[in-house]
Amino acid sequence: MSAIVTGTLQAGSLQAGPLGGWVQAGPLGGLLDALPLSYPDAVVVVGTAVVGFVAGLLGPLAVLRQRSMFGDAMSHGTLAGVAVAFLITGAKVPELLLLGAAVSATLAAFAMIALERVGRLHADAAIGVVLSVSLTLGIVLLTGISESGNAQQSGLDEYLLGQTAGMVERDVVVALALAGVAVAAILLGFRLLRSATFDPGFTAVAGVRTWVVDAASTGLLALAVVLGVRTVGAILMVALLVAPVVAARQLTTRLAALLPLSAVVGAVCGAAGGLLSGRAELPAGPVIVLLATAVAVLSVVLAPRRGVIARARSGRLRQGRMRQGRLRQERAR
Amino acid sequence: MTPDDVMIIVIAGLLSTSCAVLGGFLVLRGQALLPDAVSHAVLPGIVLIFLLTGERASLWTVAGATAFGVLCVLGTDWLRRSGVVESDAALALVFPALFSLGILGISRFASGAHIDLDSAIYGDLTFAPLRTMSLFGADVPRSLVITAGATVAVVALVVTLWRPLQAASFDPAFAELAGLRGRLIGQVLLVAVAGLAVVAFDSVGAILVITFFVVPASTARLLTARLGPMLVVAAACGWVASIAGHGVAVSLDTSIPGTIGLTSGVLFVLALVLAPRRGLVARRRARP
Repeated sequence: MSAIVTGTLQAGSLQAGPLGGWVQAGPLGGLLDALPLSYPDAVVVVGTAVVGFVAGLLGPLAVLRQRSMFGDAMSHGTLAGVAVAFLITGAKVPELLLLGAAVSATLAAFAMIALERVGRLHADAAIGVVLSVSLTLGIVLLTGISESGNAQQSGLDEYLLGQTAGMVERDVVVALALAGVAVAAILLGFRLLRSATFDPGFTAVAGVRTWVVDAASTGLLALAVVLGVRTVGAILMVALLVAPVVAARQLTTRLAALLPLSAVVGAVCGAAGGLLSGRAELPAGPVIVLLATAVAVLSVVLAPRRGVIARARSGRLRQGRMRQGRLRQERAR
Repeated sequence: MTPDDVMIIVIAGLLSTSCAVLGGFLVLRGQALLPDAVSHAVLPGIVLIFLLTGERASLWTVAGATAFGVLCVLGTDWLRRSGVVESDAALALVFPALFSLGILGISRFASGAHIDLDSAIYGDLTFAPLRTMSLFGADVPRSLVITAGATVAVVALVVTLWRPLQAASFDPAFAELAGLRGRLIGQVLLVAVAGLAVVAFDSVGAILVITFFVVPASTARLLTARLGPMLVVAAACGWVASIAGHGVAVSLDTSIPGTIGLTSGVLFVLALVLAPRRGLVARRRARP
């Protein structure tokens, strides 16, 4: 097995990770060996599939509440957190950098919500302000770090554009654990999530505080963003949150079906993109994003009932805007 | 302050003026995120022109980049009007795809070329005074000529189209009824934004583009109640941020675009808290 690792290293598609020396002893050895792929390919494919799965599963939290671009500002917000975590610890411990990213992404999200609620800004202006300020803060910190001459700092800027080479089994284990948290949270909170998404007024009247729902869904979104940002990069992360949802949304009108479908679309695009980019020696983020976007556009055009073609054919294109409301009515049914 | 420092401040200030003027309309129209999307979406245009002509800073580059910026705007608009995707999701779908194409183009065909992603994103404002061109026999920084031209063009456009722009931003239905061609004006505005984003992208990098379009205009929105004063205040915020941000960057020896962006963020927070009528303090006082 280690021969394969060295072979791939020479081909230049994968860098040695901290666990490179004893790869087979990893906790996922059985699972990774079961795939008909070389070990490094298997790590990347499982890793990107999990990232896609979580983004697809949690993406509806943003998209259905018309907060798609929240994801963009949150993923740009991770940079500052990564930089601060690195400044505090002075080393690149992946889990701590992840924690820093999660904290700053969450702060960015709350800043946007506060600007909307308390500052009475429009959503787009609130997102734009938070995005610019958190990105510039991240850049200033990263510039400071890169001029400090700390030898450990190389590679921090990968967070802007993402990278899968260098993904090791430990990263996949962390990703799987976080995916478990996401699935559990969705299963436990499904009813609340459904009513908060489609009928915020009812939810508030029923005694659930709006900020509780906001905080929970923001936390989950931060989890998805932080997990994906290393792989596809801060700039492209928003597409991974949105594209699977758009694709799945065309095929179902039920939230209970939308969430798993979108997660599967995300996972398949992630796995396929991870594999393809490794083979073609291309950066993984853009490949995954283009695949997911292609699926979404195909679905928008070709979907059986809501697709552009299907509706043009049935001559009901003009009613399209009314149909947007159908998912919302589903709850009342 | 050396002449180079003054030059950097003037370039940043001019750019902030034009961005703030157009950004004011975008903020009022609820399209504040468009410059962010466009400044990413232009990358494949820049790469494509580089692959075709081998140039990376010519008029063709600006044309190619603007074409992709417009493509991004039109794609978003098509997705939104197809009625199946909300406008924010449409934006989030289109610009990452175009940016991905650009990155793939660079890494596949142009990895040896000098399309430096870092400088495109972080901006190389610091070195702007060093890249000169000759104009009427004098050596002038290229960025200065370009940003000055863009600023004059933007201000002229806004002054010429003042009435329809104003009407289309506040009351699109009235603008259409009054024969002011609201939709056409909207599209002209978007093309202008795309063109300016490209120019700004080339001279100061993507970060400042986003910041200059949104933050000063949002700050001014908190401080003023009328369109004209709002645009003036927005441009003033941009100049203050440029001067103060440059000073901070020099004294701390850090990224100039970064500190200019942060300074405009600080101005925004000050306005949010202290603005005479819409600020948090004033609103708390007004409540009995």
